Amino acid sequence: MKLLLLEDDTETRVHIVRLLEAEGHIVDTARTGPDAIFLGTTGAYAVLVLDRMVPDVDGLAVLRALRAADVQTPVLFLTAMGEVDDRVAGLRAGADDYLVKPFAASELLARIAALSRRRPVAEVATVLRAADLEIDLLKRRVTRAGRRIELQQQEYKLLEYLLRHEGEIVTRSMLLENVWSFHFDPGSNLIESHMSRLRAKVDKGFDRELIHTIRGAGYRLDANP
Amino acid sequence: MRTPRLLVSGAFRFAIALALVFALGAVALLVIVEHSVSAYAVEAAGDGILAEHDVLVNEFDASGRAELVATVNRHARAVREDQFHYLLVDSAGARLAGSLPAAAARTGWHEFDVWDSDQGGSGRPAPVMAFGSRLSDGALLVVANDVSDLRDLRSGLRISTISFGILISLLALAGGLLVGTLFLRRLDQVNGAIARINDGRLNERLPRIGMGPEFDQLSTNLNRMLDRIEALMDGLRQVSTDIAHDLRTPLTRLRQRLERMQLGTDPAPIPEQVDGAIAQIDEILGIFGALLRIGAMEARGVQASLATADLSEMLERLGQIYAPVIEDAEHVLHEAIAPGIAVRGDVELLTQAVTNLIENALHHTPPGTRIDLALARDGDQVRLSVADDGPGIAAAERTRVLGRFYRIDTSRSTPGAGLGLALVDSIARLHGATLTLADNAPGLRVELRFPRLAA
Repeated sequence: MKLLLLEDDTETRVHIVRLLEAEGHIVDTARTGPDAIFLGTTGAYAVLVLDRMVPDVDGLAVLRALRAADVQTPVLFLTAMGEVDDRVAGLRAGADDYLVKPFAASELLARIAALSRRRPVAEVATVLRAADLEIDLLKRRVTRAGRRIELQQQEYKLLEYLLRHEGEIVTRSMLLENVWSFHFDPGSNLIESHMSRLRAKVDKGFDRELIHTIRGAGYRLDANP
Repeated sequence: MRTPRLLVSGAFRFAIALALVFALGAVALLVIVEHSVSAYAVEAAGDGILAEHDVLVNEFDASGRAELVATVNRHARAVREDQFHYLLVDSAGARLAGSLPAAAARTGWHEFDVWDSDQGGSGRPAPVMAFGSRLSDGALLVVANDVSDLRDLRSGLRISTISFGILISLLALAGGLLVGTLFLRRLDQVNGAIARINDGRLNERLPRIGMGPEFDQLSTNLNRMLDRIEALMDGLRQVSTDIAHDLRTPLTRLRQRLERMQLGTDPAPIPEQVDGAIAQIDEILGIFGALLRIGAMEARGVQASLATADLSEMLERLGQIYAPVIEDAEHVLHEAIAPGIAVRGDVELLTQAVTNLIENALHHTPPGTRIDLALARDGDQVRLSVADDGPGIAAAERTRVLGRFYRIDTSRSTPGAGLGLALVDSIARLHGATLTLADNAPGLRVELRFPRLAA
């Protein structure tokens, strides 16, 4: 897909472009805020990746200008400042997601993929399905192959998130942020503990595993083998 | 050196201004008093002249010119002190009676000087005020009175007012200078102290300025500000030293690893070596991240942005989130969370604080340890505690573990950078809560005491 990257640091820009191109994306780059605003308003991009710290017109101003011009393209905010206030400022200005520098390549790719495949329909759906797994969001009931699965609340939230991002890689920090609202790394094997319990209930005893571990990146729930 | 400084000083200007105000006041007083006094005196003198004039005109109307001449001569003689002076001339200008000079023969009010030689005086000119009018037969009658008393009164008033004005202004100037000099001397001491502080002696404090409670309040407040700055500077210096010290180890290891890769001396496969290097960088970044958070927290200070944070809900959620982790670590979780307790706070920061405490309990105790998560009201406070029955911390170590980078395990074999409790402490302070470490007999009991939310 086609992406726009606003980044003033040449080394970082080249690095990110290579990463994204290796993944098969087409990347346009902007070094300054006005360039990014100009390119962003063309509406030709699936996702805009904006760096917060750019001289003169910074990422936040670019984002505000784009949203004011009614550009609804999903925006991933890159910031070297990960503090609560900065994050809130970015989200309030209309960012869809943010990533604190420095970040792992897999993290950036996973978040761009998640943003680009945002399906608004799924937000209002009352039933989520992947292969023979089904979540009834209203009754908060999970079944696989027609069999009822009892989940703890945290397990349910985790499964719902995986299912909403079916086929996509979700990273550890995406899970921490979106399932548990942890905007920091607690340092323990929190995710592993929950994931192993969820797998024991969702995958164990069925002929096919739905939840996959992607080494060095995260997890993926796949409907198709 | 001192005098020119005094002359340009605020104190001197103040004294000058004060003296100027007094001088202006004296001038205003002079003008007002002189004006009203002389107006009164002139009116009194004028009334006397008019009355005498009327008496003589009546005499003329009743008895004729000859009798008037006789009366004028009698009145002129009867005068002992220099009272009234007269002049009566006929219509042709010939003198009929009176001693005033011929030039005084004018109608209406006028003033002139007479040479008082006929009174045996020294020839001094005496000011007189005169009133003249024509009689019915064309003769001119002038009555005059000596007003030198009035003039004396006026000049006397002027002299005394001016001298008093000058005296008061001089006193004001002197007083202003004295007070100003004292004030300058005090300010010199304060400025000296500030100069020494600027030169780097941060423990120096300002002396009391004196001269009134407002000034003392000023120096007290400035000293308080200096205390805060010094504490921050100390913290900063401490942190810089700590960072330099603590980051050196992982950076050295990273450098060694990269050198081994460059030389090809590490038998491990390249991807594995790269993974190791990235993990080391992440560890360094983690330390930076924690430091940034602490720094941001302390820079925020007490903020109004804190909202109501439901501690009961937060702890129950954390209990749910950590239950499987604690189980996997073969620890036992016990919860005693009173419902419906809220404090003023930031849920995200408080979540991180409690998470750090739970993680600490998990990492520093052996399997089988019981972890107690509790929340209760305690008088006008709210008590949140994370306790374990593990090995605990020696009393001597308890305050030191709150410091940044402090780790009891000096071999540093357990993960972490020793910033966990420092971060919790920062978060607690931001919330006006106190963090205490106590003996759980056995084990460690970490308590956060929040002020209870006013209902």
